[in-house]
Amino acid sequence: MKLKTDAKNVSYLVIIILILAFLVAVPFISKPYTVILLKNILMFVALTLSWALFSGPTGYISLATAAFYGAGIYTAAYLGDVLPLPVMVLCGGVASFLLALIIGAITLRLRGIYFAIFTLSSVELIKHVLHWIEITVLGKRGRPVVKVSDSTVFYVILIIVVLLLVTTYFLKRSRYGMAMSSIGSCEEAAAHIGVNVVRVKVFTFALSSFFIGLTGAIMATGLIYIDSQIAFDLNYSFFPTLMATFGGLGNIFGPVIGAVLFSYLREILITKFPYVYMLIFGLVMILTILYLPNGIIGLAQTIKVKFLGGKDATATGRKVN
Amino acid sequence: MTKKAFLLLTLILCLSVALIVAGCAEKDGEEVVEEKEEIVIGAARSYTGPLAIQDVSCFGPVYRMWIDEVNERGGIYVEEYGKRLPVRLLKYDDTSDMNTMTNLLKKLIVEDEVDFLLAPISTAFLKAAAQICNEHNFLLIGAEGGAKELEPLMAEMPYFFSLLNYATQQAGPLVDMLAEHNIESAAIIYIEDQHGLEYKNDLVPLLEDAGIEVVFDKAIPMGVKDVSSIIEEAKSKNAKALLCCAYPDENFAVMDECIASDYNPDVILFGPGACFEVFYQIYGENSEGVMGWGAWNEKSSDKLKDLAERLIAHQGGERNMDWWGMAIYYAGLEALEQAIEKAGTLDHEKIKDILATEKFDTVVGELWFENGGVPAECYPGQVGQWQNGIFEVVAPNDKATNDPLIPKPKWQAKSE
Repeated sequence: MKLKTDAKNVSYLVIIILILAFLVAVPFISKPYTVILLKNILMFVALTLSWALFSGPTGYISLATAAFYGAGIYTAAYLGDVLPLPVMVLCGGVASFLLALIIGAITLRLRGIYFAIFTLSSVELIKHVLHWIEITVLGKRGRPVVKVSDSTVFYVILIIVVLLLVTTYFLKRSRYGMAMSSIGSCEEAAAHIGVNVVRVKVFTFALSSFFIGLTGAIMATGLIYIDSQIAFDLNYSFFPTLMATFGGLGNIFGPVIGAVLFSYLREILITKFPYVYMLIFGLVMILTILYLPNGIIGLAQTIKVKFLGGKDATATGRKVN
Repeated sequence: MTKKAFLLLTLILCLSVALIVAGCAEKDGEEVVEEKEEIVIGAARSYTGPLAIQDVSCFGPVYRMWIDEVNERGGIYVEEYGKRLPVRLLKYDDTSDMNTMTNLLKKLIVEDEVDFLLAPISTAFLKAAAQICNEHNFLLIGAEGGAKELEPLMAEMPYFFSLLNYATQQAGPLVDMLAEHNIESAAIIYIEDQHGLEYKNDLVPLLEDAGIEVVFDKAIPMGVKDVSSIIEEAKSKNAKALLCCAYPDENFAVMDECIASDYNPDVILFGPGACFEVFYQIYGENSEGVMGWGAWNEKSSDKLKDLAERLIAHQGGERNMDWWGMAIYYAGLEALEQAIEKAGTLDHEKIKDILATEKFDTVVGELWFENGGVPAECYPGQVGQWQNGIFEVVAPNDKATNDPLIPKPKWQAKSE
């Protein structure tokens, strides 16, 4: 049994190394736009994985992704020309981490729809506070962001995705990960067995936001000019949620597959069907929720059970807090 | 290898192949074609999202008609190819998202290798697009958007040309007109945005220099619905002019409140929104005497009369007109066409040099660029006023199509 598990792990590792090698080589072997396209796909992978890091196991639906993404963008806009790139990106992550600690400390005592609404409102609140400061205090709206080449952004995003995958993998297998899962299953029971529920939730929320901030900071360098409306776009709260739902939250690959397929589908729609992309997008989501409640990964596992035999890991549902 | 791993590997390989095919296949087929058969104009514009309305009502009808007209003429003559080349539009939807716009703009330049680009929508998007285009030595002529803030950057961006009026060019003629008509006081409402700030910052010193008291200047947030307290304050301070430098939604809210509270100053002016034909269609008789930035109309010149008729006909008879930007947008496209024909090539550096140095015969008359922007004298007008269903040019004096109606008439009815 152990030999079988080891062989499986080695296979996964080989596959991941092959994919990484392919991605590292992309800027050298492909056309410039392929790098831009993959950079964008990796950005959505990073946002979706970060979202799933917290919302997956705990079942709390956070719609604050745009707030942390925007915090990263604004950090890059203000520090981009005074700090070296890696430090600037790190600062973006730290800014989002601190912001998430504050938002988390306030909101994570709420549950269900109240938590979702509060997190969504936090995006608007931060957006308008920044907007007010810019107009009334600074007397100028928006600011330019230091520019970095697409290849550099691509590699930084790739590093963030790798860090996220490693973090998610080890966190899931740690005591901390178990505590998060127990919160997702039954928060009262988790508290009863000694889990410090608030601390676990707030820290994981902040950790996932750290990665979102890193992503925002590096992506800002491709935007050239930002303002609060651009940085705190609510779509960046909804897309990761939709992508994770589309891919499935059953395991680590669900959000990745969801983000890759969804962002590629988006690219095709906005370039081939400019006026109807949201319409088709909406239809895909409705069909996914109706017929694929466990996402693509759930479908794959159902097919596997049907044709190859084995246990369906998605058979058990998860309560949403 | 386990079955699960095998399935995963297959999925990943399929995705990789799909990406590579998407990235390479189409272009490989096109690269063998050497003979130029068409000019491809790329557009990464907002066809969905909050900015999409501007494509419908501002630049959209203009570039669609221009492309049809060019193709009816057989295309643009390019000496290098010894023939007229028809124009084809390749458009992508940036979904009103900055990241998507910058990515798609690069796709149009480096992957689709389009010949020219149409500008994206809004000042913020223009700022980013202008820099990307300059990095690629690619021409970009602006459309909706353009702020004074861009002016100092123009020298570093020789491939970018801005079309729309700066606040500075419009504030002066307005204040001169107010002073001529002995307006003693003004209240300024401005949107919390770069647009609002620039207009407010230009208007306040000019008004004060002209001896017009500024009773207040107040910011309003985007999307505001209730402006009753501000209008009440303007009314109580008896401001003779109300200058509202906001966007259509907020302008309409202020207009509604003025009518509802029967606040009827001698002069009332709105930013974008008042210049649209839809403003007259909504407010009917109440639009009489309302001013807006702009401006041009069918009376400005024979060429502009013809342009208006063609635009209306091209939209199936619908009077979807923007009496501020449409004329200068069309003139910009004419300038591009003439610059290409003069250069005899599609080389952007040569066309850019011609655009920067020469004068072009356009619907607005002679058009040229100075420091990448259009000089004030090229515009068919700076301030318009609704009079009997026509958005008359009322300032500057030498471009006026009618005398300003000051004081404006009373409101005819409550908000419709």
